[in-house]
Amino acid sequence: MQNQSQIQTASGDTSWGFSVPSGHYDEAYDLSQPRAHWQYLLESIEELGNDGLQDRYKKAARILRDDGATYALANDPLGSTNWELDPIPMLISSDEWSQIEAGLIERAELLDFVLKDIYGPRELIRQGIIPPEIIFNHPGFLRQCQDIRLPAEHQLTMHAADMVRGPDGKIVIIGDRTQAPSGAGYALENRTVLSRVMPSLFRDSQVHRLSLFFQSLRSTLNSLAADKGVTPQIVILTPGAYSETYFEHIYLSNYLGFPLVQGSDLTVRDGCVWLKSLTGLSKVDVILRRVDDIYCDPVELKSDSYLGIPGLTEAVRAGNVVVSNPLGAGILETPALLKYLPAISQHFFGRELALPSVDTWCCGDPKDMAYIKANLDRLIIKPSMRQIEEPSIYGHQLGEANKTEVLAKIEKNPYAYVAQSYVAPSYLPAWQHTKIQSRPSIFRSFTVANESTYVVMSGGLTRVGLSPEDTVVTNQAGSQSKDTWILASEPEKQLSLIENSAVISELSQQPNLPSRVVENLFWMGRYAERAESTIRLIRTVFMQLNGIDPLPDSSKKLLLQGLSKQTKCLPGFMQDDVLKAPDDELMSLILDGKRAGSVKSCLLALLVCSEEVKEMLSADTHRIINDLRDNLHDLDRVFVGGIPSAPEEALDPLVTTLLALSGLSHESMLHGVGWRFQEIGRRTERALQTALLIDSLLTTQGSDSEQHQVLESALLSVEALITFRRRYRNTKDIMSGLDLLMIDETNPRSIFYQLKRLEEHFGQLPQTTVVARPGLTPEKRLLIKSLNDIQLADLETLTVIDGMSEDRKNLKVLLKELIDQLETFSTLLSDQYFDHQSGPQQLTGIQRGVYL
Amino acid sequence: MIYRIRHITEYKYHSSVSLCFNQSHLIPRDTGYQKCNSSEIKINPKPNYLAQRSDYYGNSYFYFSLHKQHKRLVIDVTSEITTEDKASCLDLDLDLGTTCRQAREMMAEGQTPEMLEAREFILDSPMIQAVPSLREYAEGLFQDQRPLLSAVRELTSKIFTEFKYDPSSTTVATPLGEVLENRHGVCQDFAHLAIGCIRALGFPARYVSGYLETLPAPGEVKLIGADASHAWFAVYSPGEGWFEFDPTNDNMPGDQHITTAWGRDYSDVTPLRGVIFDGGNNQELSVSVDVQRIG
Repeated sequence: MQNQSQIQTASGDTSWGFSVPSGHYDEAYDLSQPRAHWQYLLESIEELGNDGLQDRYKKAARILRDDGATYALANDPLGSTNWELDPIPMLISSDEWSQIEAGLIERAELLDFVLKDIYGPRELIRQGIIPPEIIFNHPGFLRQCQDIRLPAEHQLTMHAADMVRGPDGKIVIIGDRTQAPSGAGYALENRTVLSRVMPSLFRDSQVHRLSLFFQSLRSTLNSLAADKGVTPQIVILTPGAYSETYFEHIYLSNYLGFPLVQGSDLTVRDGCVWLKSLTGLSKVDVILRRVDDIYCDPVELKSDSYLGIPGLTEAVRAGNVVVSNPLGAGILETPALLKYLPAISQHFFGRELALPSVDTWCCGDPKDMAYIKANLDRLIIKPSMRQIEEPSIYGHQLGEANKTEVLAKIEKNPYAYVAQSYVAPSYLPAWQHTKIQSRPSIFRSFTVANESTYVVMSGGLTRVGLSPEDTVVTNQAGSQSKDTWILASEPEKQLSLIENSAVISELSQQPNLPSRVVENLFWMGRYAERAESTIRLIRTVFMQLNGIDPLPDSSKKLLLQGLSKQTKCLPGFMQDDVLKAPDDELMSLILDGKRAGSVKSCLLALLVCSEEVKEMLSADTHRIINDLRDNLHDLDRVFVGGIPSAPEEALDPLVTTLLALSGLSHESMLHGVGWRFQEIGRRTERALQTALLIDSLLTTQGSDSEQHQVLESALLSVEALITFRRRYRNTKDIMSGLDLLMIDETNPRSIFYQLKRLEEHFGQLPQTTVVARPGLTPEKRLLIKSLNDIQLADLETLTVIDGMSEDRKNLKVLLKELIDQLETFSTLLSDQYFDHQSGPQQLTGIQRGVYL
Repeated sequence: MIYRIRHITEYKYHSSVSLCFNQSHLIPRDTGYQKCNSSEIKINPKPNYLAQRSDYYGNSYFYFSLHKQHKRLVIDVTSEITTEDKASCLDLDLDLGTTCRQAREMMAEGQTPEMLEAREFILDSPMIQAVPSLREYAEGLFQDQRPLLSAVRELTSKIFTEFKYDPSSTTVATPLGEVLENRHGVCQDFAHLAIGCIRALGFPARYVSGYLETLPAPGEVKLIGADASHAWFAVYSPGEGWFEFDPTNDNMPGDQHITTAWGRDYSDVTPLRGVIFDGGNNQELSVSVDVQRIG
């Protein structure tokens, strides 16, 4: 028996048929009639037609990609999964929402009471309301957090609940998120994007806004700061760029205007938490935690965690910093609690909860276990703790042998599992690339403590299954998400199309950038420049090898060996056999991502740095970074069958993208401290690369024609050949080339030019707290020395061939000096501004007893 | 009796430590039969942060952090404790009282706060997993009709008799199964072993750390610093309360046992746990303990 609902498209080209399997609630239709609150939307999408919807879907996908919206970014800078947004939203009527909203507030209030009790008097256990084991045996129960209290009425700042609508149309809560609830940022991004791709529909549908939730979050976090006198410093703690919800951390950081930090960006001194910024330590008042509590402090919690801040728990205990959600809050996520929530609600409120939870049985309870054995067919077995990374088991999918196996596993560790009844999820119309289809759905909404109550996000995150039969809907399975519209019964005042238009803050303007961020900007600059000069040189080599006039072997050798030296991929072309058949080596220099110095390795390093500073980059920069990823994929494709014809052209898109990146950083990034470091990185690297280029190509002796060819190549690779020809029409000598490459202040690729810029940027850097010594800093002295070395260089002397070594010894000495100075400059700068503390280690040595 | 206990811990590092955080369970707690009158904490170099607190189990501990370069760290704690004569407790007739079966039933059904809370100590803990071999080792002693405490007392003797004390045989990381198989260990191992057996049989047991007064052999002078920290265990008999046993010495602790702290196992009450930054690969640790009767 299937409940068919059909509507004809306006254009009549296809019929949108979507059926909801029996035993599931249909969100949009009541029998074949659209439900009242869906009517307008269904009519509008009918008008749009399939092509219209696909068009909106693609537009949304493009915006999401440009915004960098990803989920489950694998440990690979090329492997991010783009966030999927369905252009058809989930709708909830105003009347129903007010009930859900009240239910969620009540639930958050209750969980807050439970949290206070578990880390306080534990009356729930002492009075026998909950079995002691569900708490005591749970690894998320952190005994270290006993009696820690935030300076607020509510201890549980944020809560998220997952719910489904059962066959009877009633909402059932199937799980709570209290550790570090994720999804609110994705919900906001979905809203922003959907309101852009469906502007008129959004405007006319009278949708409740999401921004109140985020305003409440911000004001609550502000109110948590212990020191009310000054503007509190609030940071968002992330596990880092490879966290699966990193996009959301960045998004919230920008939206709320709080710096995004990693554990190593913070340090505990004198019982307080400090941010290691460029200008020294600055005190942190509130930490919005996106790292699981157990990983937050290797001193008292998980001792081998590198994501945390040693000493954090004690700083919290002393009341010097507030962590939210509080450490230990993850215990509330245990599904075992769901069974006891009605009794807990009776205990605290004297009534049952308005929104029911899914029926749950505890495997540790002998009576429950008997029930589970008898009814396994109708139950889902779930771990009661996240530490057990096993998927849910659906009883009805098990054969007899598997059942015995599952029951044996449970009996071995009964408190680690619970059983829940299966709530058949409601179905929603979902856009599936070519047509609308019915999909099972799950909905998550969010609450945040605010003064004496909780504020619920008027909306949330709806996810739909990939196939009509999907029983589980999670992000890990790659499901699609939907914006969720709570329809107002009357229009709200001042509907803004883009919810977050006003709030994007410019982090680069903040004085308290974590020094890690700045360091990554510096390296981003360096890798971008290194990649560019490597690509340029390889491109030149290809052009010269495939030129009209065949290159004499001696010049070819010089050029290829120059390439090996420049990329530091040695021995490479220093070996005769490689020199004879250069194709493989050339391919490797482009495509081998594991070989330091190759084009790909530089670009991958650049991408890694860009992930670390994602929150600092503009939307346009994200687009370019995405292009760079695409270019890299293309490169693999083009070279798949060996070196293609006109290989230099295959490299052109990369050069263009890198130039766009450099142009953008110059034109659209605020010229704050972050930008300066990126520029310093670029200039240092370019000066080094030019020096290396001269050293590897222009210091050896050769015939006039060889010299000329190699000089031309060098100039070509730095885009100076045309200038050279115009300026030194009659001379083709090395001396003029050196003039242009080293000394010319108007050539933006000359060494002198880079040094001048470095001097400029360096002068603008903030002073660190290190007590200044009288006189010039060593970095400054290095820059002045390098500038002098270049200015005082006598080109005649430099070009002389030394009789003994048969090369331009003077030039070599000067270049070596310059390279050393630049590298020392880079090291000194790092030591001065970046944090290079080694990782923590445990105190060992155990005091053990002696016979008594 | 009044005791003065001095516990000195010294770390030497291969190279300078720049930052260190420490949590120390070195101050004796108050119990029903002992009181810590005073304690003095001396740390060298002087810590930047020091706080004295009480933990989840009600034990005293202190927390300190140091952020100046140091190659040597000395933690010197002196406490003065009054212990009460536990003669009444020691005279206890272990052949009366709650039987094993009664205890098991009361633990399962009992709804008093004390019983409910004691259930925490039946569960596995970080260092004690109640593996079947532990159950098998002790099972025979815990017959249904036998009073629980009498069975535990015999288990204490059994461990004392069948296990060899050998500090070189185990480390803090040696699993209980291995201790059981090889039949040697130190006081921590024996306490863990007894607790594991008792929990495997379904009764609550906890780990107790502390000190034991040693008396010099007749005619000899007591050496300063020759004492050591000690460990034993306690078992909960429903309706009767917690009782302590010392499997290393085959007795029930009296007023010469001074309790520092208790928890599920050693990991809850580690004398010093901490994190250091830098310091090289080698740390040298030396400990000196002196338990002196002063009244």
